[in-house]
Amino acid sequence: MNRFWFFFFSFAGVAAVASFAVAPSMGWWFPAPGPSLSPLGAQIDDLFYMILVITGVTFIGVMIALGYILWKFGSGRGERSTFTHGSHTLEVIWSIIPAGVLLFIALYQMDVWARFRVKSMFDQQAIAHPVAEVTARQFEWRIRYPAPGKTLQDTPQFDDLYTVNDLHVPVGKPAVIRLKSEDVLHSFYLPHLRIKQDAVPGLVIPVWFQCDKVGEFPLVCAELCGWGHYKMKGQLSAQREADFAKYLEELSTSQFDDGVPIAKAEEK
Amino acid sequence: MQRGFVVKVQFLAPIVALAALGLAGCGQPPAAKFARDEATEELIPEARDVVDRVLVENFGTPVQLVAWEKFPIDYGKPEPNVDSNDPHAQAGWRLKEGRNLYMTHCQHCHGVTGDGKGPTSRFLNPRPRDYRQGTFKFKSTQRAMKPSRKDLLHILEQGIPGTYMPSFVLLGEEKLGLIIDYVRWLSIRGNTEIRLATELAALSATKKDRDRAVNDGKKKADVVAEIMKSVNEELPGQVEDITTAMAEAWAGAELEESVVVPKIKRTPPTKESIEKGRVFFLSLNPKKKTECAECHGKLARGDGPNTEKYWPIPNSQPERKYEVAGLHDEWGFPQSPRNLTRGIYRGGRRPIDIFRRVHEGIPGTQMAGFATVLTHEEIWDLVNYVLSVPFEGQHSAYPGEVEGEQQTENKVANARD
Repeated sequence: MNRFWFFFFSFAGVAAVASFAVAPSMGWWFPAPGPSLSPLGAQIDDLFYMILVITGVTFIGVMIALGYILWKFGSGRGERSTFTHGSHTLEVIWSIIPAGVLLFIALYQMDVWARFRVKSMFDQQAIAHPVAEVTARQFEWRIRYPAPGKTLQDTPQFDDLYTVNDLHVPVGKPAVIRLKSEDVLHSFYLPHLRIKQDAVPGLVIPVWFQCDKVGEFPLVCAELCGWGHYKMKGQLSAQREADFAKYLEELSTSQFDDGVPIAKAEEK
Repeated sequence: MQRGFVVKVQFLAPIVALAALGLAGCGQPPAAKFARDEATEELIPEARDVVDRVLVENFGTPVQLVAWEKFPIDYGKPEPNVDSNDPHAQAGWRLKEGRNLYMTHCQHCHGVTGDGKGPTSRFLNPRPRDYRQGTFKFKSTQRAMKPSRKDLLHILEQGIPGTYMPSFVLLGEEKLGLIIDYVRWLSIRGNTEIRLATELAALSATKKDRDRAVNDGKKKADVVAEIMKSVNEELPGQVEDITTAMAEAWAGAELEESVVVPKIKRTPPTKESIEKGRVFFLSLNPKKKTECAECHGKLARGDGPNTEKYWPIPNSQPERKYEVAGLHDEWGFPQSPRNLTRGIYRGGRRPIDIFRRVHEGIPGTQMAGFATVLTHEEIWDLVNYVLSVPFEGQHSAYPGEVEGEQQTENKVANARD
């Protein structure tokens, strides 16, 4: 029993470090193997890893110190510990070092944050021509595109194209969406691109991202929005420019379908 | 030593207790059951058992499904080239998989029975559809007909904007096909029950009829025996008639000639066409009694005079009125005519969708069909007007509306008169 607390706290530390060590191979890490599919996402990953290293080193150091103390003084016999309460030097050290670390992180991340959130830092071409308006509602994503060759307007236009849950964007270039909510708070989350933005009723929030890989990726709601939150799942389809244009054309054709079979229409 | 041990027990006790709770779980949930309809509940117990028996024999239970080959439903034939342990090796695998998907995605609103009374349904307005009447609002077939598989697929893929019916497009066509066949089967099952119960009620098999006879001085056992004699005589024929009619109805919906197809292409939405449509909408042409504005309102905001009247409950004896002003649907729920200025179209926004709504009306609601009042060309004008309503007042919103403001202001002014 003498070493109970030593083993107890050591186990916590070792288990935490071990779970981080095996996480990538167990699929508990970021979605999709490899780096983020967007340039901004890669920078966000770098920030994450930097903070993980800082906190990881600190955590391991603290756990080793804790283990050492528990091993040495925890047996209940022999040496007794000394209280160091009131050590001015120690207090200064443990205030200044974390403050310095926090200040460093705060300054270091500003650039990435600004690229993600500050509108004037967005690609100006992309912000002038948003790809689509995405309206979150319980429990789906409603999407409005401008007609092919036109620019998305703030209000619906007669030739706008509507679809649901399947957001198509051109690959390899910045895409801006106007994010709205029809009812409650939702959150537009593209895990593969590390993009997460709350949708707030009454606000139109521009969100930009760039997907560098052709394919379909999950779009999920990351804000508990009601009983059907779990089923509020969509899909981001990144397509080549030509395929995207073709997609919009097809959408236009089906949306303005007048139900007259082609052969019959040609007779007229 | 002793002290250390005490600490340990104190610390571990709650953990052990929690683990025990977790392992015990909350027990097995009860097996899913098909609920009885009210019409069945009103029958005498003996007749109710007959209905139950017919349903269990021919449709089974949610756990043990029975595929009745009579109906035009693809239950799933055994697939030849699969391992015998594969579920696809058994007949009826499509129905089973459809049920599993339905239970996961649909049941919590539409209910195990398809009666629109799932646990989440009471939070919703409008209420989820009760399939058992076999009435579906948004479809391409003629009003009195069933929807086709394609219509149900369209709804599952697009959802119903303006309601809580979400889109299931990401499940893919194959899985949606399984759900569609299960929903068609549920609708047939529920409709069989309701029709059978109605027929038996017509044979005086209700509790009310029995009690009346008993009050007249007859012995209860005699009354029941008499009722059951006529029930047992009529039953096989009734079941046969009801199910045959239903099988034909669902098969008929898949035929090409059941689909409403415009005879001519859509008229381009020019100013002239929209103006003609507006005349029909406001019923300004005395020869064409369309009266759209009576419900939808002159400004198409869904607030016409009919929404303020108190309407009688259909078939109520003596006649009673709904407690809430405004229109009600066949399921007895209050229902508003669409506000067309919002640009939200539940049955779809394609011109052909609006055309079919005008041509056939919307089953289960007060929305009438205008196939006999308007020609196809005139319906297209009306469709063009309806689709232009959300954009009234916007400059050059529509290709035909380059004149813009002046024109639109007049329009609104006229409409207000």
